Amino acid sequence: MLNWLIWLIPLLPLLGFLLNVFVIRQERQAGLVASALVGGSFLLAVVATVMLGGMPEEERRVQAIAWEWIGTGTMSIPFGLLFDPLTSVMVLLVTGVGGLIHVYSLGYMHGDPRVVRYFAYLNLFVTMMLMLVMANNMLLLFLGWEGVGLCSFLLIGFWFERKVAAAAAVKAFVVNRIGDAAFLLAMLAIFSHFGTLTFYDVEVNGQIIPGFLEQVPNLLGQTFGPEWQTIAVATGISFLLLIGATGKSAQFPLFVWLPDAMAGPTPVSALIHAATMVTAGVYMMARTEPIFVASPATQSWVAWIGVLTALIAGTAALAQWDIKRVLAYSTVSQLGFMVAACGMGAYAAAIFHLLTHGIFKALLFLGSGSVIHGTHDTQDMRKMGGLRTAMPTTYWTYLVGAGALAGIVPLAGFWSKDEILAHAVSAGYWPQLIGLFIASLLTAFYMGRQVSLIFFGTQRDPHYHAHESGRAMTVPLVILAVGAAIAGLMNLPTLFSGMPAAHLLTDWLKPVLHEEAGKFNPLLALFATIGAVGMGYLGWSVYTRNAAKVKVGGQDPAYYYTGDIWDTLEAAWYVDTLYQRAVVGPFRTIGNFLAQVFDPQGIDGLVVGTGRFFGWVATGVRQLQSGYVRMYALVFTIGVVLVLSFMLMIAW
Amino acid sequence: MVPTTFYVLLSAVLFTIGVLGVLIRRNAIVVFMSVELMLNAANLALVAYARERLAVDGQVLVFFVITVAAAEVAVGLALLVAIFKSKRTADIDEVSMLRG
Amino acid sequence: MDFVLFFLTAAIALAGAIAMIVARNAVHSALFLLLNFGAIAVLFLLLQSPFLFTIQLSIYAGAIMVLFLFVVMLLGAEQVEAAQDKLPWQQPLALVMGAGLLVIAMITAVRGGSNDAPPGGEAAEAFGDPASLGELLFTKYLLPFQITGIILLVAVIGVVVLNQQRNQAQTEETPGERPSSSVQP
Repeated sequence: MLNWLIWLIPLLPLLGFLLNVFVIRQERQAGLVASALVGGSFLLAVVATVMLGGMPEEERRVQAIAWEWIGTGTMSIPFGLLFDPLTSVMVLLVTGVGGLIHVYSLGYMHGDPRVVRYFAYLNLFVTMMLMLVMANNMLLLFLGWEGVGLCSFLLIGFWFERKVAAAAAVKAFVVNRIGDAAFLLAMLAIFSHFGTLTFYDVEVNGQIIPGFLEQVPNLLGQTFGPEWQTIAVATGISFLLLIGATGKSAQFPLFVWLPDAMAGPTPVSALIHAATMVTAGVYMMARTEPIFVASPATQSWVAWIGVLTALIAGTAALAQWDIKRVLAYSTVSQLGFMVAACGMGAYAAAIFHLLTHGIFKALLFLGSGSVIHGTHDTQDMRKMGGLRTAMPTTYWTYLVGAGALAGIVPLAGFWSKDEILAHAVSAGYWPQLIGLFIASLLTAFYMGRQVSLIFFGTQRDPHYHAHESGRAMTVPLVILAVGAAIAGLMNLPTLFSGMPAAHLLTDWLKPVLHEEAGKFNPLLALFATIGAVGMGYLGWSVYTRNAAKVKVGGQDPAYYYTGDIWDTLEAAWYVDTLYQRAVVGPFRTIGNFLAQVFDPQGIDGLVVGTGRFFGWVATGVRQLQSGYVRMYALVFTIGVVLVLSFMLMIAW
Repeated sequence: MVPTTFYVLLSAVLFTIGVLGVLIRRNAIVVFMSVELMLNAANLALVAYARERLAVDGQVLVFFVITVAAAEVAVGLALLVAIFKSKRTADIDEVSMLRG
Repeated sequence: MDFVLFFLTAAIALAGAIAMIVARNAVHSALFLLLNFGAIAVLFLLLQSPFLFTIQLSIYAGAIMVLFLFVVMLLGAEQVEAAQDKLPWQQPLALVMGAGLLVIAMITAVRGGSNDAPPGGEAAEAFGDPASLGELLFTKYLLPFQITGIILLVAVIGVVVLNQQRNQAQTEETPGERPSSSVQP
């Protein structure tokens, strides 16, 4: 039964997409149909997960093959879905948070002229994301991978009348291409070394297609690459996969597209650029965990990229004025946490953080959307302030989300972040631990700053009248706030011996990730709590006390002390500028050269020159056509004489 | 009897003279006459060979040539008249509108 | 006797042909051509072709030459080559080509024909009888003969049409009087 049930999960959003594209023309219908179908998908996912839970632990892996997708020679790629514990939690996150965001969009996108298209894109995105997490082979995963990239492009550029949005969409697409290219290479490498792209053994048409994840031990000792510098196969493949993940999951050095992606509608930021799509890289790394584990070299790269990203983005988030850019950098930073967790071998912790982050970051984005909505499209925090009284629901839910993100006990973020840090301690990754700890302190600080700037003090821009958002928006906020508060329950560490329902998620994921639950580290938890509360309070109090110094269009109160450092942080360590100068600039120069010199003179010169040449030749040849019959007759006679002479010579 | 070769040689000379007339003269009517001369030269060769082989078929061919030449002259001269009506001249060099 | 007659006629034919292409006046050309046609007709007679001798005289020398003369005089095209030659280099080249052609033709003639006198005897005596020619025309060459008739018909129609075009151009200003029988080519 599970075999066909899981097909319905991605098919329902696909149906919504098709309906919205071809049938529905009305805003209300579009939103309701889209939300209802994703909701139905969520219910099915719950049913499927429960059924999966009812199976014996070793058998919790369902593969449903629709048909043999590509079959040439020895290559056989089925079009099949996979449903195992890892997939199930991802599906629950995607459909659950996705459904709430659909409902929220009903209120947020109300009155937009292209709202039907919006819901169609959103449904397509959910379909593609489900394909991504449910794929039973790399190629189908790649289909979903590219599909969500496409939807991301379409939704970032949804308000394509704005130049910024269109440019951001293109930027996201182009930067992702770099990662995608590496992903493709990884796929080719996997195929060339394993001869298959399916994750696990699966039977198609009576034939067993082997799964590559189960053959990873065969890679040991195998190398490839030039003779002077051979590379272990596992390292090569996993490193390419890592590059793929850095693109999709916005890791250093490819994170630059994510802050710009905030040009899209806020629910899109919440769904795609915080909760689901950007976690695809982490999911993919967790899925192909055996390859990563087989290569310590890549693992350390993964860990350090994660830490570096967490630090860079965390510091950049300190110095942003745009409410959504703060959250965007925060997302990048938290993704860095997840990637670092993967690099340290704590894949279950990474997935745990992925899930809690998906919930509370969606909450924060939706909350910021509510603020933007209530302040008539204001995004600059310098124009806000004192919204606590005008938007109480938004305020309280936002506070929960911010607390969860900062890691305040006992909200969700505390548990998941603490698990990552605890793993770093127990596995002895001390430098990484320090980096991540600093990043988590930064997180608390910038969330305190943001809450203070938005909700405390007095309203700095008098041009709008702030109001609370409607039901469609506040209800999802409340649900997500409850989720953000209690989501830690799904993977509590063993606080005391004999504690029931401890590390549920790790156990649940055990058949896939084969990980034992980490030990709770009371000392670390204490430090983390003190740090989070202290830094959060610091951030809040500094900006609340200096609220009067924050002026519309003015500098930050801290600017006086930090100066250039502040500028550096605001520009995210000038990574974007570096790309602009080192990549985009030269490309533009080359492009301009090609467009303005090579094309008109080289290509056009060649083309026009060819035409001119033949025109010139024709002008000469034309003279032969004098129109004089005598001329023609003479030429004719010459021909006759020549032919006759020739014949005479032959006959002689 | 005169050998056939004599006749054929005479025919060749007459034919060449006709070709030269076509090539050199500009008066369309004279050009036309030269064409007739060439036809006649060919006729002469045909009749000479027919006599040598004692085959009447050659003479039949000449008969056809003369008939067709009559038709050709009628149409050709009508064309000349038509051209003359528009160009006011019989100089073939003036009829060069088809030049490139 | 035959030889004397042949060379005399051949000389007259050559003289007529050369004079024809050299003469400035088109009327003279036509008359020289007439002379040439007459000479060739005599050669036909020498070659035992009395029927062809007859039609050469009646059709060529009679009908066709009259037509030529008529057109020359109608158009007043006796002398059209007064203007400067636009292709001065064409004439020498034409002469060279003509010489080449002559050499080729003469070589062919010498190689192809026999220098002996044509056969005599009874068959030769009976050769050239107009009756046998007519019989061949209406049996073996019946189809070409009929096609020739059609060609003549087409020529007649063509000439009429060429004339009508001119009439049409004149009557175009008064379309009402346009003859209903006018046929577009």
